[in-house]
Amino acid sequence: MIEIKQLKAEIDGKEILKGLDLTIEPGKVHAIMGPNGSGKSTLSYVLAGREDYDVTGGDITMNGESIMEMAPEMRAAKGVFLAFQYPVEIPGVQMTTFMKTAVNAVRKARGQSELDAIDFLKLMKGKCRELGISDDMMKRAVNVGFSGGEKKRNEVLQMAMLEPTFAVLDETDSGLDIDALKIVADGVNKMRGGDRSFLVITHYQRLLDYIKPDVVHVMANGKIIKTGGPELAHELEAKGYADIVGAAA
Amino acid sequence: MTFPLDKIPTPKDERWKYSNLPRVLKKLDLKPAKLGWASNVALLEPTAPGDAQYKDTHLWNLNTAHVSDVQFISGDAEIDVAAQDGQWLSPRIVIDVKDNQTVTIVERQSGQSSYWKNTVVQVRIGNNATLRHYRLNDEAAGGVSTIFTHVRIGRDSTYESFSLIEGAGFVRNQTHAEIQGENGHCWLNGVNLLKGEQHADTTITIEHQQPNGTSKQTFKSVLDGKSHCVFQGKVHVHQIAQKTDGYQLSNALILSPTAEMDTKPELEIYADDVKCSHGATTGRLDDAPLFYMRARGIPEEEARSLLIEAFCGQAIEGVSDEGMQDIVRGKVSQWLTSRI
Repeated sequence: MIEIKQLKAEIDGKEILKGLDLTIEPGKVHAIMGPNGSGKSTLSYVLAGREDYDVTGGDITMNGESIMEMAPEMRAAKGVFLAFQYPVEIPGVQMTTFMKTAVNAVRKARGQSELDAIDFLKLMKGKCRELGISDDMMKRAVNVGFSGGEKKRNEVLQMAMLEPTFAVLDETDSGLDIDALKIVADGVNKMRGGDRSFLVITHYQRLLDYIKPDVVHVMANGKIIKTGGPELAHELEAKGYADIVGAAA
Repeated sequence: MTFPLDKIPTPKDERWKYSNLPRVLKKLDLKPAKLGWASNVALLEPTAPGDAQYKDTHLWNLNTAHVSDVQFISGDAEIDVAAQDGQWLSPRIVIDVKDNQTVTIVERQSGQSSYWKNTVVQVRIGNNATLRHYRLNDEAAGGVSTIFTHVRIGRDSTYESFSLIEGAGFVRNQTHAEIQGENGHCWLNGVNLLKGEQHADTTITIEHQQPNGTSKQTFKSVLDGKSHCVFQGKVHVHQIAQKTDGYQLSNALILSPTAEMDTKPELEIYADDVKCSHGATTGRLDDAPLFYMRARGIPEEEARSLLIEAFCGQAIEGVSDEGMQDIVRGKVSQWLTSRI
């Protein structure tokens, strides 16, 4: 159970999140849609623990435990995963090294034994095969020279490797053509089920044709202003944001 | 004993602006000593070679006047220049690579407590030959090491050097390379890892004296504590040296607000058909990759270490001997572990 209560956050003195409430039950997929500038990406960064944002009020809990004071790596160990809108390039750090360090850091923090090189490679190759990712990508530096599609697939691969309990997908559809979008959505759908919760943040309804949400929220001006079922996404697509945002304001 | 301080360059000399050698030497109480090598002094070139305009050769002359040990090398070798407490050493290493030879030399510079090593390394590379010269500096915090390396590169030949400074009191690592034959190559790479009050100065002059030569300098410096790093790199392309390709890069990563980096790139070009570029940056670690790694569960210090290793990697890639690459990577990773 993920509970976000009256969350307020600002950057450079400008308030972006203005008392946001959201509860996600275990195993559910929630979507947040909203116009540009509504605070969607800020929410994703604040959930992952990015320190540039000043959290000025409210709380975020996972199964009753507050994660607000936790460093990003601690949150990852607790099961938070953020699929970045713009995955970061890290020249000189090979994917395999990056992934092995991350998986073992998380395993250690979760009280599991660390994987040796052989077991790690087995795990990684298995996940790559499941997601249709070539091993070749693992020999390259993290995201360096990756196409838009490769970057997003890489995010999904990392998610599969780290087995989060709460995955936040920030504009995962941006910059993807329809084929790449399907591959990414397939990867996410494979991981649905059990207690794993998802928060899918998107501007367009398109992604939600492939990752079907249980609940759809509309975000505007730093708050959730409307909540409904999957039909809400279609309504938004048909009418645009102006109607709903305007009506709420 | 008192050093001939009047013969030692001061910050008033242009090339010594950022490194105050008299100041550190004044604090030391040393006696002339020997490493125990041969001392066949008769064969040495008494005066420094090279153009008069680059005769920043105080220390060369001082080495000649007080030379303690001499080693002549013409094949693969490992050399240890290790000083004991209280020693003033003036070692001279002469490397002569004959035509058509490929030679690898590993030079380890180290010492204990307080000392001054004023080393001169004189290199001559014949035609169609390669010298790989790897220098590993692990000096004591109270040690002073000044090294003057002079290199003459013949036709179709390559001088490839790598310098790792992982420990320093006061280090001046000065290289003057002359590309004297056509199609000669001078590739200098280095990694400086400094902490505490360590001081390391890399000063380079490369003279392109013939056409179709290339020179590459790639230096990466990581500064913690109150350390001070200097990089001065000069590329001089003589009028005859058409089709020269010169490249110089110095990147410094500052881990502490009290560390200091001074960088002075210089290009002096008299030929009209050349390609020369230089880049110099000084900055701190980027937040974006750091956050990305931490969001994947990698603890902050480990993430920093991975990023710093990657930062140094570009210079280490210039080492063509893979075994040496592994040694250097291992030392960088050890240094980072010792920081945490």
